[in-house]
Amino acid sequence: MLKDITFGQYYESNSIVHRLDPRTKILVLILDIVFLFLTKSIYSLIVPAVQTVLILIISKVPAKMFLRNIKTILPIIIFTSIINLFYGNSGTVLLTVWYFTITTSGILRAVYMGSRIILLILLSSVLTYTTTPNDITDAIESLLSFMRIFRLQNAVHMLAMMMTIALRFIPTLVEETEKIMNAQKARGADLENGRLIERIKALIPILIPLLISSVRRAYELAEAMECRCYNGGVGRVRMKRLKYSWADLWAAFINIMFCGGIIAINTLI
Amino acid sequence: MASIIEVKNLSYTYDGDAQIVKDAIHDISFSIEKGEIVGIIGHTGSGKSTLIQHLNGLLKPASGEVLLNGKNIWDDPKNIKDIRFKVGLVFQYPEYQLFEETVFADIAFGPKNMGLTGDELKNRVESICDTVGIKREYFDKSPFDLSGGEKRRVAIAGVMAMKPEVLILDEPIAGLDPKGRHEVSAMVKNYREKFGATVIIVSHNMEDMASLADKLIVLSGGKLVMYDTAYNVFSKGDMLSEIGLSVPVVTKVLKLINEKNNDIRTDIFTLKDAVEYLCALSAGGKNA
Repeated sequence: MLKDITFGQYYESNSIVHRLDPRTKILVLILDIVFLFLTKSIYSLIVPAVQTVLILIISKVPAKMFLRNIKTILPIIIFTSIINLFYGNSGTVLLTVWYFTITTSGILRAVYMGSRIILLILLSSVLTYTTTPNDITDAIESLLSFMRIFRLQNAVHMLAMMMTIALRFIPTLVEETEKIMNAQKARGADLENGRLIERIKALIPILIPLLISSVRRAYELAEAMECRCYNGGVGRVRMKRLKYSWADLWAAFINIMFCGGIIAINTLI
Repeated sequence: MASIIEVKNLSYTYDGDAQIVKDAIHDISFSIEKGEIVGIIGHTGSGKSTLIQHLNGLLKPASGEVLLNGKNIWDDPKNIKDIRFKVGLVFQYPEYQLFEETVFADIAFGPKNMGLTGDELKNRVESICDTVGIKREYFDKSPFDLSGGEKRRVAIAGVMAMKPEVLILDEPIAGLDPKGRHEVSAMVKNYREKFGATVIIVSHNMEDMASLADKLIVLSGGKLVMYDTAYNVFSKGDMLSEIGLSVPVVTKVLKLINEKNNDIRTDIFTLKDAVEYLCALSAGGKNA
């Protein structure tokens, strides 16, 4: 049950997308998402659709992994599409039920909204599938290094370190939760049945031991880090340095071209 | 005698990716008589924990069945909770499951889930604590203020308070100091004597297994390789070391002596027996 939670869903492979600098991937993702929302109609959405499909193909991540991601947010996609179905205010009227009318433009709008969310999810999952969580935090730390001018570089480092640690301990916590749940079930705790209040109460025997062990783990980790002379970000060097390559420049260039395509179609149609 | 637990052709694989062949179990069958102490030994990942979680219905067999008093425990899935009261399972490091504000409340958690209330609940907790030697002055303390060994005992008492017919303990003495180990072993013994319970212990400690267990189940790679008396199992020392296990230290010592002097017996597995044997031998030697 808990095993189904995927976080930091890195998919090991050796595609060009995997090898890009994580900073490039984050910046390009932000750019692509901004332009995805700048599309004005379903026609200009064709450009990011082609772009996304191309990225998916060269990322060498199996299609079923992306489908799985879409499946989890399918209710949101359907909900958004249905709401938008009734917002078409032009075109031929196809159906009128009570107050609601469905027009051809309404259908186009529903498809447009739905596919925009799908593309958004696909693009962001490319980042998480092709970049390890640690690379992502490193990249965030590096991208935020301009905070130096506000004398906040230490805060940025600490934030990145906290994220790294949090990500590292998610599998550990999941395992721990499962163990505690089994132990309390063995003492007759009922987690599946009962009314809402009873179910919430049934969580106490699980959350308290989990909280206590997290605090204990945090103390132990802090001590272990201090034993290795960790004292924050000042003067720290990296084992794995981030480095831009020509591929990053090309990736940025190609994506900017696609974004230009969106602007072009927006103005032409 | 009637067997209290019977396992027939039990198999289980952790689903999802086929890469998790570790901890799976294949076609395991055995039966345990009422009142016996049975030890389960096996290398890490040999399926010990998976097996014991089937005995109280935390895991559902992929194939095969588990019988408790002759009845399949999954006959009525809604009553699986009752099975867990009859087959008490103490996990590894049970002190990490303590959560209540007082020792009393924590021990009472199990019986409370069984539906006991008021005086009945109080009597139940008190009688268990008397049996296993947890003093009344501990009742109002926070379990988090106790020492490691005390926490462990309180956690085990929390399972014993349900008065299970079968008590399963996963590595009950791992990580304890000698005093704590002694206390935990004593409380298991007392519980068994008082309630006539069947006890199943998973352990890596061959010495304890030799002195405690009537019978041993040896698992390797998810398969049952031996199920026999402790004497017979430890007699096959070579086979045990092949699957990453070993005989008690005292047996190893006797074997080393045996290499120099072939008259020494090597089929002695507990410290007590070895001392008796060696004393008798040296007395005999002097007399001769």
